Amino acid sequence: MATTEIARHLTVEGRDIALDPEGYLVELADWSPAVAERLAAEEGLTLVDEHWEVIEVLRDFYARFEQAPAMRPLVKAVGLALGPEKGRSIHLMRLFPGSPAKVAARLAGLPKPANCL
Amino acid sequence: MLLHILNRSPATSLVYRQALTAIGPEDRLLLIEDGVQGAMPQLVRHFEGLEGRLFALREDLASRGLEGHCDPAVQVVDVDGFVLLTEEADRTVSWY
Amino acid sequence: MSEESTRENVADLLVILRHGPHGSSWLREGLDAALVAAAFGRQVSLLFMGEAVTALVRGQQAGALGQKGTAATLEMLAMYDIDTLLVEAEALARFGLAEQDLMLPVNRLDAESLPRLPAEHRLVLTF
Repeated sequence: MATTEIARHLTVEGRDIALDPEGYLVELADWSPAVAERLAAEEGLTLVDEHWEVIEVLRDFYARFEQAPAMRPLVKAVGLALGPEKGRSIHLMRLFPGSPAKVAARLAGLPKPANCL
Repeated sequence: MLLHILNRSPATSLVYRQALTAIGPEDRLLLIEDGVQGAMPQLVRHFEGLEGRLFALREDLASRGLEGHCDPAVQVVDVDGFVLLTEEADRTVSWY
Repeated sequence: MSEESTRENVADLLVILRHGPHGSSWLREGLDAALVAAAFGRQVSLLFMGEAVTALVRGQQAGALGQKGTAATLEMLAMYDIDTLLVEAEALARFGLAEQDLMLPVNRLDAESLPRLPAEHRLVLTF
């Protein structure tokens, strides 16, 4: 869940962006593609089209359901939006290594997924 | 067979009706905490149809001074009896 | 009934919801429990009993102080593969609700079939 505790700031395009202790945005409205790129760089990722389309799926998911998805529903949502080839956990693992549901939510500017270890 | 456990009095809460809605023909009902008020002769009619399958916890009756006010249709069990009922059931469902 | 025959058609978890939206956190907590179980691949059924049928009414909004409701979470259930939404038919009648008043398709359970449900699940949680 989104927390209000500010652990640190990023400066992106002249704006101070507050992050919570786990690196998620404190203000979801602070998100911009440039913010996503900075957060991705912290993960050692360079965002390409395949990342952006998943980020868009996540932002749509949040706009509709008011929650960030755990891994299973993320896989399902990606599959529904981008086709069955991409709706597979291996694809998401490759794009967002480690814990895709958490990493991708962070880059998409969403709170941490609630129902997720 | 499931053991349903109710801890609310039928005099103050309609939760007992939800329990009754979900109780199967073989299932048992155990009254605990304030639920034991339902074992009193004036209130036991709320549990019509559960003859032989209705239990109340002795400790909760005793602490409320209700042990002597228990309808004969209700089987009084102590904590060991509660454990036994739990063991005899496939699982338990709590109504609170 | 033998052990075997009782196991055959048994699903993992039945979450019984008994509270409406906004008045307390019960409904949200029940839904959260269902979502966690589903996120870990458990087969989950939801049963809306009593007042909880009002959680399915169309056109819900945020609370007076802007608190999130539960409607968006209910819409999300399908994404967690929670497709079994069961409703106590008697409760719908008591609240005067018809199926067109509800935001999601549901299975109505009459008083006769409802008691079979808890026995068909390995775990029953009431909220």
